[in-house]
This record gives sequence, C-alpha cells and structure tokens, in this order.
Amino acid sequence: MEELRKHAKELLENKTVAAILAYVEAGPQRTKPAIITKPEDVSKMVFNEYCLNNLAVYLTKARIKNLAKQNGTVMKLGIVAKPCDIHAVVALIQESQLKREDVYIIGMNCHGVVKDFGMEFSGETLASKCVPCETHKPLYYDIVLGEEKQTPAVSDEVLAKMQAIEKMTYEERFEYFKKEFDKCIKCYACRAACPLCYCQRCITDKTIPRWIESSPHSRGNFAWNVVRAFHLSGRCIGCGECERACPMDIPLSLLNRRMTETAKEAFAYVSGRSIETPTLVGSYDVKDSDELFM
Amino acid sequence: MKIGVFICHCGENIGRTVDCPRVAKACEWLPGVEVSLDYKYMCSDPGQNMIKDEIRKKKLDAIVVGSCSPHMHEKTFRKAAVDAGINPFLVEIANLREHCSWVHDDIDSATDKAIDLVRMAVEKVKRNVPLTTIEVPVTKRTLVIGGGIAGIQAALDVANAGYEVVLVEKEPSIGGHMSQLSETFPTLDCSQCILTPRMVEVYQHPRIKLMTYSEVEKVEGFIGNFTVTIRKKARHIDEDKCTGCGLCITKCPTKKKAFNSFEEDLAYRPAVYVPFPQAVPNIPVIDETVCMYYKNGKCGMCVKVCGREAIDFNQQDKIVTEEIGAIIVATGYKLYKIDKKPDDSPIKGYGEYGYGKFKDVVDGLQFERIASASGPTSGEFKRPSDGKEPKKIVFIQCVGSRDESKGFSYCSKICCMYTAKHAMLYKHKVHDGEAYVFYMDIRSGGKMYDEFVRRAIEEDGVKYIRGRVSRIFEKDGKYIVRGEDTIAGMPVEIDADMVVLATAMIAQQDASELAQTIGIPYDKYGFYNEAHPKLRPIESTTGGVFLAGACQSPKDIPESVAMASAAAAKALVLFGSDKLEREPVVAYVNESLCAGCFACKKVCPYGAVEVKELKDRNGVVYREVAYVNTGLCQGCGTCTATCPSKSVELAGFNNEEIFAQIAAL
Repeated sequence: MEELRKHAKELLENKTVAAILAYVEAGPQRTKPAIITKPEDVSKMVFNEYCLNNLAVYLTKARIKNLAKQNGTVMKLGIVAKPCDIHAVVALIQESQLKREDVYIIGMNCHGVVKDFGMEFSGETLASKCVPCETHKPLYYDIVLGEEKQTPAVSDEVLAKMQAIEKMTYEERFEYFKKEFDKCIKCYACRAACPLCYCQRCITDKTIPRWIESSPHSRGNFAWNVVRAFHLSGRCIGCGECERACPMDIPLSLLNRRMTETAKEAFAYVSGRSIETPTLVGSYDVKDSDELFM
Repeated sequence: MKIGVFICHCGENIGRTVDCPRVAKACEWLPGVEVSLDYKYMCSDPGQNMIKDEIRKKKLDAIVVGSCSPHMHEKTFRKAAVDAGINPFLVEIANLREHCSWVHDDIDSATDKAIDLVRMAVEKVKRNVPLTTIEVPVTKRTLVIGGGIAGIQAALDVANAGYEVVLVEKEPSIGGHMSQLSETFPTLDCSQCILTPRMVEVYQHPRIKLMTYSEVEKVEGFIGNFTVTIRKKARHIDEDKCTGCGLCITKCPTKKKAFNSFEEDLAYRPAVYVPFPQAVPNIPVIDETVCMYYKNGKCGMCVKVCGREAIDFNQQDKIVTEEIGAIIVATGYKLYKIDKKPDDSPIKGYGEYGYGKFKDVVDGLQFERIASASGPTSGEFKRPSDGKEPKKIVFIQCVGSRDESKGFSYCSKICCMYTAKHAMLYKHKVHDGEAYVFYMDIRSGGKMYDEFVRRAIEEDGVKYIRGRVSRIFEKDGKYIVRGEDTIAGMPVEIDADMVVLATAMIAQQDASELAQTIGIPYDKYGFYNEAHPKLRPIESTTGGVFLAGACQSPKDIPESVAMASAAAAKALVLFGSDKLEREPVVAYVNESLCAGCFACKKVCPYGAVEVKELKDRNGVVYREVAYVNTGLCQGCGTCTATCPSKSVELAGFNNEEIFAQIAAL
C-alpha cells in the first residue's frame, strides 16, 4: 500500500498524470472510488480485497477526460486497476475510446475481491467473477504493484447455474428469464456501471423512432435486458459490475458469460485481452463460422 | 401530404396473381392517399402520362408505384415524377412482382399481401425527405493495368481522345502474350509485325506515361477520384541514361543462368536482359537472383562495358502515387502449367500426359515459340529434346478446360482455333509431316473461323480425331499417344515425335490479390466479374473500374481489342463531364450522438468512413467521431446496422422511414 501511495505521489508531483482514479477507504471493509489530483491526498489511497469498483468506467466520462486537458495540452490519466479492470481499459482502446498513451495504468496484482462490502475475505465470500478468473497479473500496465497471493479455490457456481439453464427446455428457459427480468425497474444502473456502455446516447433512449420497447411489461423487460446482452456480446470483459449494481439482483452475469463463451467457442475471441486484436464485430475472416448468422 | 398510388398490372406478370383493381381500390382509403389507380403497363408512355397528369391535377406531393423491382423501373418513375415537378426521392416502389405475384399462387392472399406492401410504401413515402444528387469532381486521367494487347489498345484509345494515361506493366516490357505468338488466326499474319507498331506508338505517345516493371500496390478513393500507389521495381539500370545498346547483355558472363520466360523456358538468358529484341522500352533489367554481383560482390562486367554509366546496383524500388479518374484492368491470363500443382489448385493434374517429364510434350505457348521466326529454333520445327524435326505431332485440345473432374468447367475458347493454326503452320513447313488433333468438339464461332479450321482439315490434311487421350508414354524413342476415337468407336494409338497440349487459359496467379487491392469482385476461377453479364459486360461493379481482355474470361485477340476499346469508351464517357452525379443514398453521421467507437469504420466495405475531430472554439479536439465520405459511400447500410446507438443513418432509408414501414405492417 505504501508502495502505491509513494508511486502515486511521484506521478502527481512530476506531473506525469493529471489525476489518478483510485480507491479510498470508506469505513471498515469498504472502499469508494476517488479522483486524486493533489499529491497530499495520496495517503487516503488504498488497495485491498474491498476494491470492488471497476474504475475504468470513469475513463470515458467527459468530466474526467477534461481533467487531463490543461492549458491546451492533454496529460495522462492514472488509474489503479485490477487485472480484470485492465481488460476493460484494453477493450476501450480496441474500441477507439482511449489511446494507450493517454492512460497510465497502475496495475495491481490481484487474488480476488469479496462479493460485497463488510464481508471477511475467504473462499466463501469470493466474488463469483473471481472464481473462474485466469488473469491475476496485469496484462498491460505502466507499473505493477502489490503482492502476488494465491486465489482461494472454490467451485464455480455461475458455471453450474449456466449449465443447468442450458439443460432446460426453451419454454422453461424463457420462464426463468421472464421471472428474472420482471424484477427489472429500468433504473439502468447496469448501464451506468458498465465500462463498455459509453454511447453518447443509448439506443434505448432513442425515441424517434423507439426501436427498443421500454414499457414496464415483459416485452419491455426482455427488450432492455436482451439488447444489453447483445450489445455486449463479444465485448463484455466480465467485470461483473452490472450485476453488482443491480438493485433487483437480476443474474446478469449468466447472460454475459454465456455470450462471452459463445464468442470464444465460435471465433476464439475474448474481448479486452490484446490491444492489437481487432474487435469481434469489426473484423471478418473468411474462415469465420457461419453458424451464428440468424 | 397528398400521395398518389399507381398499381401496375405488368401485363399478366402481376395481374395474373394480384387483383390489381382491388389493390387500387383498397389503397384509396389509406390515410394521406389522394388518388389510387391501376393500369396495364405503368412504365409505358400512357402509364407515365397518367402519373404525370395526376400529380399536376391533384397537386400530389409524393407517389407510390406498385410495380416490378425498383432495379427495373425506379428510374423511369422518378423521371416521370421529376417531369411533373416532384423530387425524385419522393417516389417509392412497392415491388408487387418479384416480392409478390411471381412467388405466390393464391390470388386472394397475394392481393392482401400486395395491399400490405403498398401500405408500407405509403407510410415510408410520407416520411421521405427530398434529396438532391451529389456532385463529385472528375480527375480526367486513366490508369491502365496490364500492357498486353488489351491494355495497349485501351491506353491508345484514351490517349488519342486527348486524355492522359498511366500504363502500368509488371514485366520489363509491354506486349504481353501476343508478343510471344508466331502467327495469328484466322489470317496467319505475323503477330509481332502487327503488335510492335502499337507498342512503339504507346512509347512515343505524349499523353501516355509508361511504367514497366511496376506493380499497383494500393488503390484508394472512388470513381473519378482514385489515388493509386505504384511500386516501380528496381531495374538496376538508369532508364534516363540507358540507350538500349545491349552491350551489357552480350558481355554478361552469366549466359545460361536463368530460364528465359519469354521463350517459355525453352531457352536461357543472362542476368541482365531484355525479354525480347523488340521490347518496349528497350531497357534491360538486372535479375538480382542470378547476377554474380549480388552473389559475391564481384564481376561488374556490365558496369565496365556500359559507356553511359547507366548500371546502378544500389537502385531501390520507387513508390509513385498517381491521381486517377478511371481504371482499366487488363491483366490478361496465364496458361495452366499442368506439371506444377500448388496444393490449393483446383486442377488435379494430368500426370498421364507426362508434361514436365517428357521434353517433347509441350504446351501451346511453347509451341508458339518453336514456330516463331524469332524463337529459340528461328522458326524451324525442332523438338526440344534432340533438335530433330518431328515427323508426327499430336495436338490434344481441352487439357484442363471443360473438364470438371480434373480441371475447370469452362471452355478456354481459343484452343480450337490455335490448335488448327499450329497444325497448319507445321504442315506448311514440314510437308511430309503428319498432324493429328484430338478434340471434344470444334468450337470455331467467329468471322472466318470455321473456314479456317476446315482449311486445316481439307487443304492441309490435318487429321482430326474426336476423342480423349488417356495416356502418353515413351517407347523406342517415340511418344505413344493412346486415346479413343469416339466416332469410329475404337481405341487409337499414335507413335508421335512430339505432343502439344492445349492447356487451359487461367486467371493470373495474383488475380485475386489485385482484385482485393482495387476492390472488384472475381469469380471462383479468379476471373474478374462484370457488372451485368449482358448489359454491362465492360464495367466492374465498382464505379470507375472497367475490364478489358482475358482478365474477365478467356478471349482471343479481336475480342480483347474490342473490349479494350469499349473500356476506353467507358472511361471517356466518365470524362465527358466535369462533375459526376451520384445517387444521394449515402450514410450520414449524427455527430452529437456518435461515441466514436468506429465499428462502422471497421465494417465499411468501401473505406468510406473516416475519423473526424470535433474541436471546441479554441481549436482543441474534444472528441473524435465518424464521418462518411459521400463520394466513397455506396449506400449499402452496413454501418447503420452495426452502429450500437443508431447514430449513423442512410439517406433515403433512415430510421424513421424504415420504422414507419415496419409499423405499417
């Protein structure tokens, strides 16, 4: 932690970065995101198993981007990022939302985070996204900090649930998701938390004409949740922030992970792993599978 | 808004399955429809006049025509609308023929569907926005790719009409395959004698910029406005200093280092060479792969003998860019070498014919060189193995052509004629020789063509055997050709001194790569596709790119020349005006909504999407958004389908219009 603070202080002092997106303590076993712009504030910075937020979501916000623009020059933005958060940064670079040189990645070695604030870190409280995680060290970074520790090994409950759903008939599956989606209150917290939902205006908000039904009805509930899943197919990096943000506990990662697996099986593509790889939708190879064409 | 609906019977085409009067009657009651009529032939003069009269009489704002596909008559009805004072993009076509009457049997339900289709079109046309055609400037320069007879003819025609031409040829000399031929059918005039004056004309033409030993690397831009990048390969000889004296060639010590590809590998050439004596330009090339200087840094004999100090071993490839308005692709063909079988070749090979194994089994172009007065045998018939005069030659047609199991299903078209010519040339020089031709059919359509084949058979005594050859093998110094005479219904064996195979004409090795560079479609054989097989045989589907000669399909010389002149005419049509008019059905970006993910840029097949920087009042870039170059955009709509936030729209098919159309159903 001292290492992180020291490095952050240097970055701010020698003006390598304009600001650092970081975690600060917010009570016992709890953190919150913060924008550190002054060297004296670095002492508040922390990194532990309670750093749940994916701070990459802030990188595309105009207000934060503007912090980096001072006196007509563009400075770097610093970000304290877990390896999974770095996938989001990479995906944003792949999708032209960021330039690699505009961001300073303070990559943190990570052995997992808790499901929610206030839980003691253990195998049982390990966040479900951390269970199948394979990237414990940052893939892209300007510096790597933090100690390497073993992630607790626990069974993959989301995978088990996914497999159970796949065994269902179409009708059963429809009923299952209908029940889940009917909880939706259209607060769009999932959208706000998603680092890859960066559109200036979401298609759901388009009213002339309204392609995506928004009624408080199964049709509208399906429309939003299915469109969200489709728009993230082959793009979702699996940070799980949507599901964590959902006040109605809709199991969104079931959908996201299924789409990620499909993209992986059909095109051997996983989003956010390599800056040089063209995006899935933006690339075509004659060898591409035709199976997924509707 | 007042809308007129006009339902066409298309004679019986629509009228047979769709009750057109009922459609017209039902559409009268659609909101916004002022008048709804039906007529037997809406595209006829009375039909069009009916539309014009109604527009004027009822002061219509827009019209819907229920007729055939918009591919057929959209232009006709737009013109009628314009004549009566309506913007052409306030005309919608409901396709009642291809989408309805031709695909259904039941009159009642087909009529109901027709009404639905018209209703959808009415809802769309209500939201249609008047559009104006886009004007783009035209660069009046032509790029001709390929310096064979087709490329030469196209270049001369365009240049003689007064426009500049850049002629790019990948070999050191122009002339192409025609320069290799001995005589040409059906008149038996010497190929080089008729070709070389044209080559010289190209070289001396003030408006033709000749770039030999060069290849097109990149084509950017669009019709009337291409930017072409050309790689000028290093000749290692300064073109400005060289006088073409040829001293370097005669003094080069690597006399027999490389096969002479102009002589179809029947002779050798030194490291520094011109392909043939009449080469244009007459400037040699140094072949790095065999030159001693590049091997061990020694020799340099050519440098010593060259009085002009033209040799430059350090010369590098040069990259040249040219601004071009029209492109004529005339890259020609190659002959299938049946002994060389790349793994991905669709040809399974004709190993049983022994080509490549037996020296005296040659292909058509090799025989041309043997027959040619300028060839390796100075025009005397000598077989490659021992230089003896062959007394019996067997010609085999359709080797690779018209053979689905082993070769290509298409006919190479010229082989019947050139085989007859070969046999004739042979008989004219070797009076006691015998010539046999194995054929499947004789395809000699063309002016004086069939007479030519008959002459070979009747006057020169060439023996034609209808049937295929199963095997060629060597026995007692003879090549035993074993085949079948299907007319006599019995097997035949001929002990030949030499065998000539009329192998298939195939697309150039790198035809598909060049097609991808230019952005034109090609068929499964690598031949370039024309825009329409009957009515647009010269144009490719890409605007401003025209095809000439055998790169489109197998062709003989007169056809290639005709096509080249046609391609030149097409380029000149383009140059007929200073501005080009384009349909305004192009994509446009809502810049305030675009998030700049550039998914549209990645999927655009025409490279029409660019990055635009949005700047604040201080000139500081605050966002990058997509921008559509309307000159390049072909209106395919891929970007609009890809955009996750629907921030890019297609004029004439915008979100509102399409949504209304769907909602009307």
